[in-house]
Amino acid sequence: MLLTLLIFIPFALAGVALFIPARFTTSFRLLSLLASVAQVFLVGNIIVAYEFDGGVQLVEKVSWISLSLDSWGQLQADYFVALDGLSFPLVLLSVFILLIATISSWNQEKNTKGYFILLLILNGAIIGSFCALDFLLFYVFFEFMLLPMYFLIGIWGGPRREYASIKFFLYTLLGSILILIVLISLYLSVQSPGNNPVHTFNVLHMQDMNNFIPDAILAPEGVGQLSFFNFRQWAFLLLLFGFLIKLPAVPLHTWLPDAHVEASTPVSIILAALLLKFGGYGLLRFVYPIFPDSAVYFSWLVGLLGLISIIYGALNALASKDLKRLIAYSSVSHMGFVLLGIAAATVEGITGAVYQMVGHGIISAMLFVLAGVIYDRTQDRLIDNYSGLATKMKSYTAFILIGFFASMGLPGFAGFIGEILIFFGAFQSHLVNGLIPVWMPIVATLGLLLGAGYYLWTIQRMFFGPFSVKNSTSELTDLNTREYLVLVPLALAALLFGILPQLLLNYINPFANDFVNAWFAQFLLP
Amino acid sequence: MIADNPLLFVVILTPLLSGLFCLGFKLKFSWIAPILSSVLLLVTVVASLMLYFQTDTDGLLSVPWFYLNGQVIAISIILNKAVLTMAVVVIVISFLVHIFSIGYMADDQNTARYFAILGIFTFAMLGLVVSNNLLMLFCFWELVGFCSYRLIGHWHEQPAAVRASTKAFLLNKTGDLGFLVGLMILWSATGNLEIEALALVETSWLTVAGICIFLGVIGKSAQFPLLNWLPDAMAGPTPVSALIHAATMVAAGVYLMFRLSPFFTNTTLEVISYVGALTTLLGAIGALVQFDIKKILAYSTVSQLGFMILGIGIGAAEGGYQHLLHHAFFKAGLFLGAGAIMHAMHQAIHHNNSDIDVNDIRNLGGLFKQMPVTFWSFIICAAALAGLPLTNGFVSKEVILTAATENIGLITTSAWIVTLLTPIYTFRLVWYLFAGKSNNDLTIREVPGIMQGPLVLLAAGSLTIIFNNSQLTSITNGMMDANLHGSSVVMYASLALIALGLLLGYTFYRKKPTTSWSWLSPQFYIDQLNAGFIMIAQFISKFTTLIDKKWIDGLLHGFAYLQVAFAFVIHWIDQYVVDGFVTGSAAASRGLDVAIRSTINGKIQSYLLWAMAGLLIFILWIIN
Repeated sequence: MLLTLLIFIPFALAGVALFIPARFTTSFRLLSLLASVAQVFLVGNIIVAYEFDGGVQLVEKVSWISLSLDSWGQLQADYFVALDGLSFPLVLLSVFILLIATISSWNQEKNTKGYFILLLILNGAIIGSFCALDFLLFYVFFEFMLLPMYFLIGIWGGPRREYASIKFFLYTLLGSILILIVLISLYLSVQSPGNNPVHTFNVLHMQDMNNFIPDAILAPEGVGQLSFFNFRQWAFLLLLFGFLIKLPAVPLHTWLPDAHVEASTPVSIILAALLLKFGGYGLLRFVYPIFPDSAVYFSWLVGLLGLISIIYGALNALASKDLKRLIAYSSVSHMGFVLLGIAAATVEGITGAVYQMVGHGIISAMLFVLAGVIYDRTQDRLIDNYSGLATKMKSYTAFILIGFFASMGLPGFAGFIGEILIFFGAFQSHLVNGLIPVWMPIVATLGLLLGAGYYLWTIQRMFFGPFSVKNSTSELTDLNTREYLVLVPLALAALLFGILPQLLLNYINPFANDFVNAWFAQFLLP
Repeated sequence: MIADNPLLFVVILTPLLSGLFCLGFKLKFSWIAPILSSVLLLVTVVASLMLYFQTDTDGLLSVPWFYLNGQVIAISIILNKAVLTMAVVVIVISFLVHIFSIGYMADDQNTARYFAILGIFTFAMLGLVVSNNLLMLFCFWELVGFCSYRLIGHWHEQPAAVRASTKAFLLNKTGDLGFLVGLMILWSATGNLEIEALALVETSWLTVAGICIFLGVIGKSAQFPLLNWLPDAMAGPTPVSALIHAATMVAAGVYLMFRLSPFFTNTTLEVISYVGALTTLLGAIGALVQFDIKKILAYSTVSQLGFMILGIGIGAAEGGYQHLLHHAFFKAGLFLGAGAIMHAMHQAIHHNNSDIDVNDIRNLGGLFKQMPVTFWSFIICAAALAGLPLTNGFVSKEVILTAATENIGLITTSAWIVTLLTPIYTFRLVWYLFAGKSNNDLTIREVPGIMQGPLVLLAAGSLTIIFNNSQLTSITNGMMDANLHGSSVVMYASLALIALGLLLGYTFYRKKPTTSWSWLSPQFYIDQLNAGFIMIAQFISKFTTLIDKKWIDGLLHGFAYLQVAFAFVIHWIDQYVVDGFVTGSAAASRGLDVAIRSTINGKIQSYLLWAMAGLLIFILWIIN
């Protein structure tokens, strides 16, 4: 019952909000906050109930759609939600970030009712997607995220919001369609085990090669060939690119900087901290477990895409003139590390990828809050228009230093742990499974240097030196209470998971071990 | 067990506590920060000395930090006399720098922040010193880099200081990439990050790993080619320079080499010794041609560090380590002495409203009479730098020289050349500062007592009587058994060279020539190289932005236009062809027309519709 409550409380409250007249603006804020607070309590209960080595747990499974389709058999989809070492850290992150985003949205004045209803729907859809273990259920939640996000960027965004939101929508829709194609093909190829087999969307069943119907389109044995690759490999590629758009990996990333630049601060927070995570989550939940044979075949490509994202994203960040665009490109770079860790498919790499997702979630949220602080005051984010902000805004500069150094992987912050684990994992790959070559992690270290470069250069230009501000006469006040309320928890969380990594590794380690040793190892080429 | 000694935690955590306390002070109360942190550091000094004398057996305290792939990564703290000696030196120097800073930073606006980072800096260095786990050590290593970044850039309104701090951090980071690769090799080879695990790595990988880790040392200890951040770092407050040059930051690299070199292969050690030899020469030349008092000292540090690295490379690790400890005292003394001179000059200028560069030694002179305490402490520390007898510099230098003489070659030659050059530039510095008369008419007063105290103590520490060789030999006994005495032939030869150096120095610089030889300085050329790298990076980054904007987005927009154009064609066909033929079904046709036109107006519903239609076709195809 815990997970269902966690997912549907926001939906229920969104329903309640529909019936409240739009002029009671505070009530919508409170409802949104209520949802988040309730979720925090529920997560507390889940932490108590969760067993570290328990595998998939807190299972709730009810038949959802059951249609007889005559000659095509039985259409069977379940409401199947559960948590494991992959999804639980991300659910934790989501609940935390959504609370932060709610606080950060507190001053939203334009059409408050619509805004918070969309936020609540987004909330439920995000949590639902992370919990769903039925592919169709996941897909429904996943699509459900798309529309609120589209409107949140398109209505509450900056000057070029229409362009950004349509770009975001089209990119994501393309990804969804790629996923949907594979989803349907998988459904037709997989049946549930047991005496009375029916077609199923159950992800756990899809992971078992024995459940594939012989001679079905994606069956492992006797799989058909279509030009260069066989059907399974094509399906792998479609699914991979579907999720890589979300991650985003170069060259499928150009929606991200535009979406971030135009989105308001809380929307940017959710976008960077949570929505991007579906890229990595999708790879670890669907792409790799369902197509391990193809994953082995394409690991080199995945690693290379990760490496390109790391370097290319960092270089673009270096050239960015807009603070928010810089942070967006740094996200591309940091999510590239996730890809590199997954491509290595070693225990360290997988652990690091999950850790990096959580770490990046916290730190990128902090960075977007920080970018919002200066934008709120001057409506200007161009780095060159500022100099010496440290003299006027001491606390702001202090948090900028924390945020930037956390993001460039200073030990003591969560980002460092994720990156170092990924490096260990990626380097080890050539000894353990030979999936990615040893030069990839070595070249990837350049991403750290470039990261230090663009952040320090930004600090040097914007915050240090003699004070001056161009194109703005507004008073530069230091952080206010609401901003502290958002920044302090984020900074503390980044510190907590940087100093005590075992807190999260307790969950991630068993997952990564199962994933690599119990499952993935059998598909490696001898 | 000794590692359970609660004093250990007092020693390591008190500086951190001091730093965190100071962070909390508002501007109004920031005057408390210097006092509070100095008192806390004094506590640390006492605790560390007590710990030092209570420790007679080696101990290792190991607490699991986290688990990875079934292996434990531990927070392991090693305790023995050799490690504790370094810890004591770090704490003592840091304490004296704290005291000195009370006077030096009295007029500063941001004292609380300054002392906060000073405390964290000390903590990070202590953590680094006692680490036995290389990942933990790497964490503190980076933290040391961060603190030095903030301290060098303490006066953040000055663009030069900010640039210097950025440069320091980036050059350090460049080296750290190598360190990181070294860690990766160690982990993948052994699944263990304790220092002893290096012994388990097979030779070929060990050579690579050693060179990679040494890259980190090149950055941190300002070796060739990453040496030029150190002279630039002079833009920070002078007490910070004293700390960076003596006990923290640059010392970290040499210290790490001392800890790791027993595990290294001969090839690695050879590389290390060549880099050290080159660096020590470049540093000495740099020190010889500079006129900025702090830059002379900075280059002399580069040279001395190179000398230590050279020593470690040729197998005299104990000698290199000992020289590091000795160097800490006299170099801190020299920097604080320079700081005292600059402080006194600034005060005098402040009263006089004149405008001269106090860093330029050509503007100074005759300070012998005006600042006697500073003079005497400075001269003792300078003597130790030059390697005169009765000073600690003499002792440790002999050990390295003796080892260097055992294998004739480039390395030996450079070691001897530096032995000659060091007294020359030391003499030059002292002579310009204190001899003759100054070319200005300022009334310079000796600095206050709170700044004199550290100077005197550091000068005393640089004398053999206080902190000598035999003590250290017994201290480090548990860890090393080499005989730390230099051979007598080497001793006489080096004495002769030092005497020659002083003589040459007197001959060249008696009249205080002002000719600039700065083209000899290595910094210029390496800076050009750096600028080249940065230009390349910026060029590529502009290019990648172009790819994003023109090609990827361009392709995307191209598709969008294509779709719109296609829709117009359909629209045209619809209007003139279909309409022309089927006039009767005009209403239905218009419906289709509207439907198609709606694809081009950016309505989301229409995109969804198209997507669904495509899917339907796909599903039908797949089912058949």
